Amino acid sequence: MGTFIQLVIDGLSSGSIYAALALAIVLVNQATGLINFAQGGMAVLSAYIAWQLTAWSVPLLLAILISIAASFVIGAIVERFLIRKFEGGDPDTAVVVTIGLLTLITGICAWIWSYNNKLFPSLFPLETISIAGAVVSVRSIGTILAIVAIMVLLQLLFLGTKLGLALRAVAINPQSAAFSGMPVGRLLMVGWGLAASLGAVAGALVAPQLTLTPNMMDSALVYALAAVIIGGLTSPIGVVIAAWLIGVLENLAAVYVPLIGHDLKIAVPFIMIFVVLIVRPQGLFGRKAVVRV
Amino acid sequence: MSTATAVMRKPWVRWAVIAIVVVLAIVLPLVLPEFANTTLARIGVFAVAVLGLNVVMGYTGQVSLGQIFFLGLGAYVTAYGVQQDWNIVLVFVLACLIPAVVGLLVALAAARLGGLAIAMVTIALPIVGVPLAKRLSEFTGGSQGLSARFTAAPEWTGLYDDQWQLYIVLLIAGISFLLTRNLVRGKYGRAFAIVKGNEAVAGSMGISPYRYKVLAFTVASLLGGVSGFLYMVVIQYTSPETLSFGHSITLLASMVIGGAGSILGSLLGGAYYVLTPQLTNLIDPGLTAVLQGAILLIVLFVLPGGLVSLPRLFRRRRGREQGGGAAAAKAAASATAVPSTSAPDGADVTTHPPTESEERRQDT
Amino acid sequence: MTLLELTDVTAFYGPVQVLDTVSLSVPEGGAVGILGANGAGKTTTLRAISGTVRAGGSIVFDGKDIRGLRPDQIAQLGIAHVPEGRGTLGDLTVRENLRVGAYTRKDRKNIAGDIDYCLELFPQLKERITSNASALSGGEQQMLAVARAFMAKPRLLLLDEASLGLAPSTAKTVYDSIKRLRAESGIAMVVVEQNANLAFTLVESATVLETGRNVLTGSSAELKGMDEIRRAYLGG
Repeated sequence: MGTFIQLVIDGLSSGSIYAALALAIVLVNQATGLINFAQGGMAVLSAYIAWQLTAWSVPLLLAILISIAASFVIGAIVERFLIRKFEGGDPDTAVVVTIGLLTLITGICAWIWSYNNKLFPSLFPLETISIAGAVVSVRSIGTILAIVAIMVLLQLLFLGTKLGLALRAVAINPQSAAFSGMPVGRLLMVGWGLAASLGAVAGALVAPQLTLTPNMMDSALVYALAAVIIGGLTSPIGVVIAAWLIGVLENLAAVYVPLIGHDLKIAVPFIMIFVVLIVRPQGLFGRKAVVRV
Repeated sequence: MSTATAVMRKPWVRWAVIAIVVVLAIVLPLVLPEFANTTLARIGVFAVAVLGLNVVMGYTGQVSLGQIFFLGLGAYVTAYGVQQDWNIVLVFVLACLIPAVVGLLVALAAARLGGLAIAMVTIALPIVGVPLAKRLSEFTGGSQGLSARFTAAPEWTGLYDDQWQLYIVLLIAGISFLLTRNLVRGKYGRAFAIVKGNEAVAGSMGISPYRYKVLAFTVASLLGGVSGFLYMVVIQYTSPETLSFGHSITLLASMVIGGAGSILGSLLGGAYYVLTPQLTNLIDPGLTAVLQGAILLIVLFVLPGGLVSLPRLFRRRRGREQGGGAAAAKAAASATAVPSTSAPDGADVTTHPPTESEERRQDT
Repeated sequence: MTLLELTDVTAFYGPVQVLDTVSLSVPEGGAVGILGANGAGKTTTLRAISGTVRAGGSIVFDGKDIRGLRPDQIAQLGIAHVPEGRGTLGDLTVRENLRVGAYTRKDRKNIAGDIDYCLELFPQLKERITSNASALSGGEQQMLAVARAFMAKPRLLLLDEASLGLAPSTAKTVYDSIKRLRAESGIAMVVVEQNANLAFTLVESATVLETGRNVLTGSSAELKGMDEIRRAYLGG
């Protein structure tokens, strides 16, 4: 039983990282209508910025906050100067643009900081506590709580503030939003900036465990995309639940299903995608697509 | 019409060009140094792989991030068959068929899904493929991989190995390109294009998008298998790393840079795949990824049709200078006439024909 | 006092010319109609005013040349465009749609009061205040679109085909509400309508467009009985 609880909690913890990335992907998709394959790469860049600051003796929490702010700016600039041209066009072309962006960002990280693993200090103490006979790391609990806090903050932003209302309006119908005086371009930049900030949080939370390398979030991206498909592109809560589910199930499968084991546990999200999409093509929580010819 | 195009249309010119190409294909391997032959052979290998990707992505518009998986599968089948001493023709047939069958099965399951889901399924192939290749070590040699040398030049030819290998690649790649060219120029190609343009319209025309997506994906997998066989011909070693996801991305970038939806573009893409790492390593190995990402982005911004569209770009520029108002207008106008005006800073000024409300619902 | 003046406005969709020297004049607090058959350029004229379409010629609002400004900048100057198809934000509730309308306003205290006013003006919206806008009927969505535009407290309202797709009684109800809105707030309006009779209940003057040109301009009284109006619609 102890193992089971451990696996579940660790699964929720890694699932939370996927969830943060997935939320960023959903945010970008709702605002600008495309899937950003570079979301993980941007998160890695944010983590490197934070790491570099700590290497310059900046306190960890401050370094992370600065990297969050820097990521916001980077995200906004990327939207304005790189992505803007491809919005509203063929989404597949936009995907290839983000893939190019991913290659570029990974290359820049490798060029500046090399491929060697870097140790990233942990926000949470490296202790464990005992829950119902299981040994659970404080880091896992902290990660889960961090994501829950982020979700609550995002809900507050989107449902309670004028900015959140504007972001939602622009995502639904940019031209109509402009008629009410909303500066659409600027709001799209904010959307991307927010998504990049989310990624920065995810990067900072996962880097201590994985050690920092340019390709650190490549597999997290795959899990995040799986969560987006399973949860449904239109439902932020749905993708978080899907991400947690993926994290927990892959851990359980790795231990309890020998056929899968640890090396093939990456197959779990794809199996889940297959199963879910057969039953509900729009994802567990999504809405059916309306396609105008 | 420029003089170049006019000249090319004369049948005798086309025959002459073909004859020259054939002569070159026969003569060049004999005179070029070994390094050049090996490089050309490798270009041939990846040109076929890019060609396959083009069929499903360039022509039919379905994002595939898994083409490298079929190359790897073909290579593994070849390596295994050679190690088991099977007849080489049988090995070649299997290297084509097995990936094609796998591709067919994957496509049958995935082709009904929306855009992102298809992309994810294709991502699954290399990502699950690598640990799977490590796991099935009986067949694949595990992490060590398999090597298979079967392309030593036979005695009676008097050729060096690299020349022999290049001939094999030229022959097989040439046939593959020819067959594919006929496929995409014929009615299947037209069907692909319609499915790419608008699936709902395709359906209403009696062209089943599902069927043609499956067909395109199967052809792509088959070509992937062929390129895998050729991979073993030239490189003679395969391992799980052969089908890694990173290579899949580079393959995709090569297709875009060479020219999506173009036969010649596939060739250019193969050349890009092979030559660029060599070039960037000369400049600064650390900069390879940066340069590759930058080149892809630059091409997407400035030359979306890929390198193969450069002549078209020059022709249009020249046309515009010669007061080609008519040509420019023709280029700008289309049935729906929605030009995206390059708006001033941050502006979202678009011109729309008067239609009903634009509801943009984004879902998979 | 002229609030809006269009002079010789032209507009193109790609190579196709849709507006060819269109002129229009709206006095402060006045209501002017744009009539004409399908494809005459009525909607495009409104789009030229609100900045959605690039236009040539002269468009002067409150003494300021507004050509080349972005739509959101023009909205902030006090022009509210209720587009064809209404542009309601379907995934937002009725109340949220109204709040969106008030986006540019700085006087937050009065916004709640204005929302109440809108709900009193359009009682059907009051019942559906927490529903998603996409769940509303056509007529209710039209009312919501007009109310949302009003929430910005604009000086000029651009109404595009407010009766489109509505049953005649519903269209009349909508127009009655708009009339009352105008009477109580003094907003100027440009009203694009295919239903000329309905338009004449609201506007004092109108211009008739045909293939992007003014072919007839005058007061509602003059135009109402004219044969040309009938011909423009029925192609006599």
